[in-house]
Amino acid sequence: MIIAITLGLLIGAAAFAVTRLLRGPTLADRIIALDVVLVTLMSAIAVNAVREDTTLPLAILVSIAIIAFTATVALTRYIESSHDQ
Amino acid sequence: MNPIASTFMLAGAALALIASLGLLKFETSYARFHSAGKASPISFFLVAIGVGIELGVAAGVQLFIAAIALAITLPSSTHLLFRAVHRTRDDESAENRDSA
Repeated sequence: MIIAITLGLLIGAAAFAVTRLLRGPTLADRIIALDVVLVTLMSAIAVNAVREDTTLPLAILVSIAIIAFTATVALTRYIESSHDQ
Repeated sequence: MNPIASTFMLAGAALALIASLGLLKFETSYARFHSAGKASPISFFLVAIGVGIELGVAAGVQLFIAAIALAITLPSSTHLLFRAVHRTRDDESAENRDSA
């Protein structure tokens, strides 16, 4: 029951962030919305590990964090370089 | 299920919902970055504490490493976004922003 409530709250959080991702208005807003979606996904993976009583999916969390950082750095470089020219 | 673990997980999920609500409702880009960049890693920390209490030491070590990775990467990426938005804004004070 607690797990279901927690996953429901996390689904609501991801839905708000996806709404901001679709609405924009700038590219930077979309990037930070994607970051929030990924952090919410990390929390959901951890909660789902409790639901299935396994520690196996927890190894994914570090790679999600690092890949999200790499994507954000690349896209901010794109914003700055596309403004300069 | 451990009541302390349930409390931490519920608090983390509620904080994630509040952070996304701020991301959706605030007016300017800077305010949205504040809401998303500060509250969402703390929401993951709370969920990780709850899951670590529930699953034991081996899971707790993995969650601790993930929390450290998130604590290093997410503030720096938010800082990069702030800097990109600040450098590319198009108002009348943009030409003398470096002279301060």
